[in-house]
Amino acid sequence: MDRATTSAASTPHRSALVKRRSKSKSHRQSYRSCSGGAASRIGLTPALTARRLNTSRKAPKSLNITERVNAEHLALLVKTKWKLCYATPLYQFRHTMLKSYARQLSAFIVAEKQRGLAVEVEGAQNHFRASFSVLQGLAEADDPETILIQIHSKPLFSSSEEPQRCVWSGWLSCINGNLDYLHSLPQGFTCLPLFGSSGTEVLTTLVKSWCQKTFDCSFGPLEINYTSLQWFMALLTNCHTESNIQHLKMIWSIPVEPPLQVAFTVSPQDAWELWSSVRTATRDLADPGGCIDFEEVERFTQGLKSHFYRHFRLDLSAGSLKEVSTALGGASINGRVKISNSRYMITTLALLTECALLKMPI
Amino acid sequence: MAEAFSLIHSDRSCLGEQSVSSQSGNRSVRVAEKERRKNEAEDSFVLALKYFTDVEAGTPVTGNDDFENHLVQVEKVAYSRGLAPEAIATMLEFAMSSRMGNGPCVRVLKCLLPASVVPQDCVVRAVAWLCVGKIPVNTKVLFVKWVLTVFDMIEAKDQLRAVYGFIFSFVTEETLCPFICHLLYLLTRKESVRVFRVRKLLELQSKLGRQPFLLHLLSLYKVFCPELVTLSVPSRMRSGFKNHVNPWKSALIGVQKRNGLQVASGISLTVASKEKTNSRKRKLCHLELPAMNSVVNNEAKTEQSYSLKVVPLVQINSFAQLLENMHRIELPAQMGSLLSSSLALQYLDCVQDESALLRLNFWLGHAFQEEFLFSGDGGACQNSEETLQFLNRLLCAQNFLQEGFYSSETFLYKFLTLWDGSLFRPQILGLLSNIPVIPSSQIERLVFEPLKQLYFTSSLFFKCGLLECMTNMLLRWLTWHSVYALEDDLDISLNSHTSINMTLSGFKDSVMELIHFVGHLACVGLRLEGCHSLLLSFTLDFYETVCDTFLKYGLPLLVMPPPGVFYPAFLATETVSVDRLAFIMHRYKINLASAKSQEKLTEQAFHISRQTISEFNHYVVVMVNCLWNSKMFHTGPGVQLREELLVKSNVPQYWKRFDLIHHHAFMSYAFDFHNQCWPGRKEVDLSVIKHSKPWGWYVEYLFTMGFDGLKQFVQTLISPQLPAGITQNQNQQT
Repeated sequence: MDRATTSAASTPHRSALVKRRSKSKSHRQSYRSCSGGAASRIGLTPALTARRLNTSRKAPKSLNITERVNAEHLALLVKTKWKLCYATPLYQFRHTMLKSYARQLSAFIVAEKQRGLAVEVEGAQNHFRASFSVLQGLAEADDPETILIQIHSKPLFSSSEEPQRCVWSGWLSCINGNLDYLHSLPQGFTCLPLFGSSGTEVLTTLVKSWCQKTFDCSFGPLEINYTSLQWFMALLTNCHTESNIQHLKMIWSIPVEPPLQVAFTVSPQDAWELWSSVRTATRDLADPGGCIDFEEVERFTQGLKSHFYRHFRLDLSAGSLKEVSTALGGASINGRVKISNSRYMITTLALLTECALLKMPI
Repeated sequence: MAEAFSLIHSDRSCLGEQSVSSQSGNRSVRVAEKERRKNEAEDSFVLALKYFTDVEAGTPVTGNDDFENHLVQVEKVAYSRGLAPEAIATMLEFAMSSRMGNGPCVRVLKCLLPASVVPQDCVVRAVAWLCVGKIPVNTKVLFVKWVLTVFDMIEAKDQLRAVYGFIFSFVTEETLCPFICHLLYLLTRKESVRVFRVRKLLELQSKLGRQPFLLHLLSLYKVFCPELVTLSVPSRMRSGFKNHVNPWKSALIGVQKRNGLQVASGISLTVASKEKTNSRKRKLCHLELPAMNSVVNNEAKTEQSYSLKVVPLVQINSFAQLLENMHRIELPAQMGSLLSSSLALQYLDCVQDESALLRLNFWLGHAFQEEFLFSGDGGACQNSEETLQFLNRLLCAQNFLQEGFYSSETFLYKFLTLWDGSLFRPQILGLLSNIPVIPSSQIERLVFEPLKQLYFTSSLFFKCGLLECMTNMLLRWLTWHSVYALEDDLDISLNSHTSINMTLSGFKDSVMELIHFVGHLACVGLRLEGCHSLLLSFTLDFYETVCDTFLKYGLPLLVMPPPGVFYPAFLATETVSVDRLAFIMHRYKINLASAKSQEKLTEQAFHISRQTISEFNHYVVVMVNCLWNSKMFHTGPGVQLREELLVKSNVPQYWKRFDLIHHHAFMSYAFDFHNQCWPGRKEVDLSVIKHSKPWGWYVEYLFTMGFDGLKQFVQTLISPQLPAGITQNQNQQT
């Protein structure tokens, strides 16, 4: 736990960017104006300008973030499989108050664990200890810093000398969030839309409900849909020249009776060759920093599907893609991800942040 | 004290006088006798009180006849009328000081039934006696119970709060603790919540286990100082302190009833703890309204702004308090909780803070999308009871605020394309009618397209429901316009406020789109449903709003109903539809006339299109020709049939078929009228009514049957003094 860095980080203030109304006289007006600087009370309805997934994105730069991010934190991020959720913007979250949040969360967990027993916040709770820290080095541009939450506890029957160990960890993050969206939020809101957790479901629920009570935000499950999985696949394959993906594994489920699951593994070289062939010819393949269009991604998936069809006479388009994985990382439709290589962490998190922002109710 | 008694005395005599004056001889004697006895009783009561004031410590109780008599006297008064404040003070002082030992103490406490209020200082003195420690514990319990019972009748509580610490010290006495906790609960203010007290209570908790009384007091502490204590109340825990059986309750109610006072509600003081309606565990709880909690603010001590002394909304219990603290209310930690209480809604109506509303909208939007858009496996159906409650509460809130929430609007745009038209129909239509004005360029895609598909494929009842929803929507838009149109003008002159983007013409376009859309729906709907009278009624409801847009809502816009609505209404078999149509035409006429005159006065006023006027004239001509002049299918545009076709139909005198006598909606009235005018006649000849004298009577007769629409139509559009032809010409000139 690095306390010094905790206090050094600060919540970005965007007071200059937020235009505040001089007055608002009707609800509608104020409701309207909430919606991201929509100038008119009646005019632009933001629902009409729905956010969409980017159709083109930069190919992952192999970023060496090991220098920027605390090694211990990075190890935690890399070795764990995360269950994802989206979170609506946090209200009155301060990066400077993490110590106090830790105290409150510890007390909250203890109180919830023994319903009907009051707990003193300031007192020392030794059963559960929550800690909040800033994961510095991940945020880009105007992103608020990522927050790491860990809960330490002792096993029920353990000697008093035994140290507490981490039983739950989770993080709230925003990497390369849509700037228009971030800037449209009034002061007081911190947008950390991506919530990853690893640990028992009970603790996840407790942490979520504490956040809901404290920051007036809401959580919902974040599925990674077909489009995003395809992106995942393409982006990871694109890295093959720099670091070996070992394999490209897909799990498809075919709606037949009985249900059929197809595990489809492609050798890295084949995948790379297919990927190179669908890349638009004009682009310089040697430059991995170029843009990737969604059309290329679709062509890539189509190529894989038709390859499968040629061999097994089964069109995978009839089924749904459940999971993709490579040695660099993997993701499944129910919102579980694993990022095995820290070099592509930023890209992956940016894609996931985008998915989470799409889920925002407003 | 003596004054008070004489006051009672004079009251009584005054009453006596009244009854004497109002009653006769021998009864008045009886009354006077009664009065005299009463006065005697009062005198002895005064004596009794004097005895209890002066009695010396150590006076024996056993065999003391004086004491016995006086106490009986006091008890008699107490149980019949209750004790005056001074009497309460005397008796309480006597009992708690234990001047005559503990025996009489319990007996006295049991008869302490206040007639009006309890003076505060005597309670404080009693608490002081409690601290002296001579009193046995069950008497102490009885005293605290008594204080709890009469708590609401104690005139002020400030001194009592000042001795909060002394009262708190009794929590360590085990038998006393539950009652002391209850009393503390009633007395606690923010400043009384201290760390050492929290510690003491937690210590007790670890000793006594999870006792509800401790928990309730602690949960109140949490309301005031969430940074000191945290707890989660189990759903099974009963709300409130146990309403202890106490000896005063029924007697007190009796006394109060006799005194004509309102029964004090203080007896059943309960904690407003969250009631869980459903013990069944729900996996998804996004529809549950969050409980209202104050913000945990640890920065408080350092921040300057805190010196303003904000009052968390959760501590506000009445409208009066709300008004008092309006300027310094702190919003709760979760904005969604505002929907749960009507008091909070009152406050929400005044909330100007953008981020507060945004928080509410985030929460609401999230609940909506998780329940309806992302649930996938028909989650909405599974939890229909909760969903229904949620929607109804939301509608209730929106109706109270007279405005829709922004996130429910956004949700509807997405949901309408997925809706099957039956899931929570009344609620969804209710939400839909709250949608604010949409720019005309978007309205088609967002609302009309999905609705059209639903409308043409759904049952008659959905059609009626949708028309009603559209009527409400139009009403809201027009109301909004009539309220804010003026303010907007002001704003323009004050500063270039960006919010006035929607110009009047933009607004008019949107309203026009809506009216045309509903006109289209009504036309096709009436045809599909065979001019069903229920659908017709909802259609006419809509046009009753449309015809008055200019005069009632100040919107310079008039749209006539399409022929597909006009003719079904005019040729309807129910008299009420024809009557309502007549009323609508009458309102159109008045609106058009006043718009015309304004147009002449100011250049600014809107220009009514020729089209509208000629449509109106055409409809009026048709109505007057048919109903009044018996000239069906006479001239003009619209419905035209060839002469030979009409002859071929073999309807005798077909041109008369739709006059006021022969119109199928009115024919039964014509028969009735005929029977009343010429009761003897066997052969009914309705055409007799057409003669000028009986015609006049017939029309009058119809008016008396309650056809006000028709009456107004005739008065504004057909002047009875003039021959029909001239009126027609006049109309055409309008």
